[in-house]
Amino acid sequence: MSRFEESAPAKGGFSFDLCKRNEMLVQKGLKPSSYLKTGTTIVGLVFQDGVILGADTRATEGPIVADKNCEKIHYMAPNIYCCGAGTAADTEAVTDMVSSQLKLHRFHTGRESRVVTALTLLKSHLFSYQGHVSAALVLGGVDVTGPHLHTIYPHGSTDTLPFATMGSGSLAAMAIFESKYREGLTRDEGVKLVAEAISSGIFNDLGSGSNVDVCVITKGKREYLRNYMLPNPRTYVSQKGYSFSKKTEVLMTKITPLRELVEVIEGGDAMEE
Amino acid sequence: MGDSQYSFSLTTFSPSGKLVQIEHALTAVGSGQTSLGIKASNGVVIATEKKLPSILVDEASVQKIQTLTPNIGVVYSGMGPDSRVLVRKSRKQAEQYYRLYKEPIPVTQLVRETATVMQEFTQSGGVRPFGVSLLVAGYDDKGPQLYQVDPSGSYFSWKASAMGKNVSNAKSFLEKRYTEEMELDDAVHTAILTLKEGFEGQISGKNIEIGVIGNDRIFKVLSPSEVEDYLQEAE
Repeated sequence: MSRFEESAPAKGGFSFDLCKRNEMLVQKGLKPSSYLKTGTTIVGLVFQDGVILGADTRATEGPIVADKNCEKIHYMAPNIYCCGAGTAADTEAVTDMVSSQLKLHRFHTGRESRVVTALTLLKSHLFSYQGHVSAALVLGGVDVTGPHLHTIYPHGSTDTLPFATMGSGSLAAMAIFESKYREGLTRDEGVKLVAEAISSGIFNDLGSGSNVDVCVITKGKREYLRNYMLPNPRTYVSQKGYSFSKKTEVLMTKITPLRELVEVIEGGDAMEE
Repeated sequence: MGDSQYSFSLTTFSPSGKLVQIEHALTAVGSGQTSLGIKASNGVVIATEKKLPSILVDEASVQKIQTLTPNIGVVYSGMGPDSRVLVRKSRKQAEQYYRLYKEPIPVTQLVRETATVMQEFTQSGGVRPFGVSLLVAGYDDKGPQLYQVDPSGSYFSWKASAMGKNVSNAKSFLEKRYTEEMELDDAVHTAILTLKEGFEGQISGKNIEIGVIGNDRIFKVLSPSEVEDYLQEAE
């Protein structure tokens, strides 16, 4: 009801007002700011009791590893998790936003969230930004209609698959899945396969690395196995530790106050306002 | 809402300095079904009558006590549809607060924002005040809390309060029965006895609703069978 709502675009959808200005700036030589990409391996598969998601934990900024142990499996709902590849800020923001919308929806309907709800909210958001929100997602969960696994591309298209991989390490991981996946895997077999696929991405793709995170979602239960495997430990840690010897001797210490101390007298005349 | 021809407020001052529309809204609240809340030392209980217009109404489908966040619940007296709008707005505000600060909204903040919404409807163009008073029960880092929010937008923190029909009897009953050291179970029994005071007909688990929040900080609406258990204990 407040007047502040009038400033939002009345017709909804993306506002293209600034695109012309951005084009002009690029022509004049402005380099767009660089962002943190997650060159990544993310995977998901459906097993007999539900869904297993897996991800590596390396976040890169060009050729540099920015975060050696970041979390790429995001919470969407108690029964739905989402792995994100692409621009780290985009995947975080979009999954956070949809998670929030799902929570409100749960309050209003009094029901558990469905995977297709999360899917539709994500894909319509990504589509309306025409691929500029660079988030490639593997969405998995178990709801009343059963276990579901989907992939979502930055432009807003989706696939529904029994096993899926995304990110720069997707080819390495897909090779593992294509040769070893079968229907009706048990939990342990499924976790082992997912860990293998992620490891394949970690060791064969430069954009992926560090550790393996796994999330197992079944009806009524989910296990978030953070750092399920640590295949890249820091093997050599110096026993001597680090010490920096003092090069300069301290001869004398003298403290000179820059200002006279002010004495505070309680109960004096109150300041006039 | 801003530029239409009807963007003048319908709630205007009377010569005696009162906002008559708000007085009328409070009258609407006063003729609504009784609801009450009691703050115990280790939790809060809110309760209301659930008198349905006919025995044909499916009482399981009606829920007057609603959850705003996992640790905050609300009950109303007055017009049900108005309360639905407020509940929806409050839930959204709680969620927006969480999105911005990544902290579950403190009870006072949610109450303040809901009260702000109610006040806006007394000053904006073309709208009328809400015909409900809300009792908000929550448990956060400051402990158990109970707030009442009125159609004018004013809010008060209470140790125990009642609204709706029969409010004066209920409040004097609560004044006599309330103690600071009361625990949650005692508070539930006291709430039931207070409702019984003004209840027409036979009280049962199907025509009252009780919501509790304890040290676990999870707001729960009791099922009819749980209410029956408490009713039998209170006999």
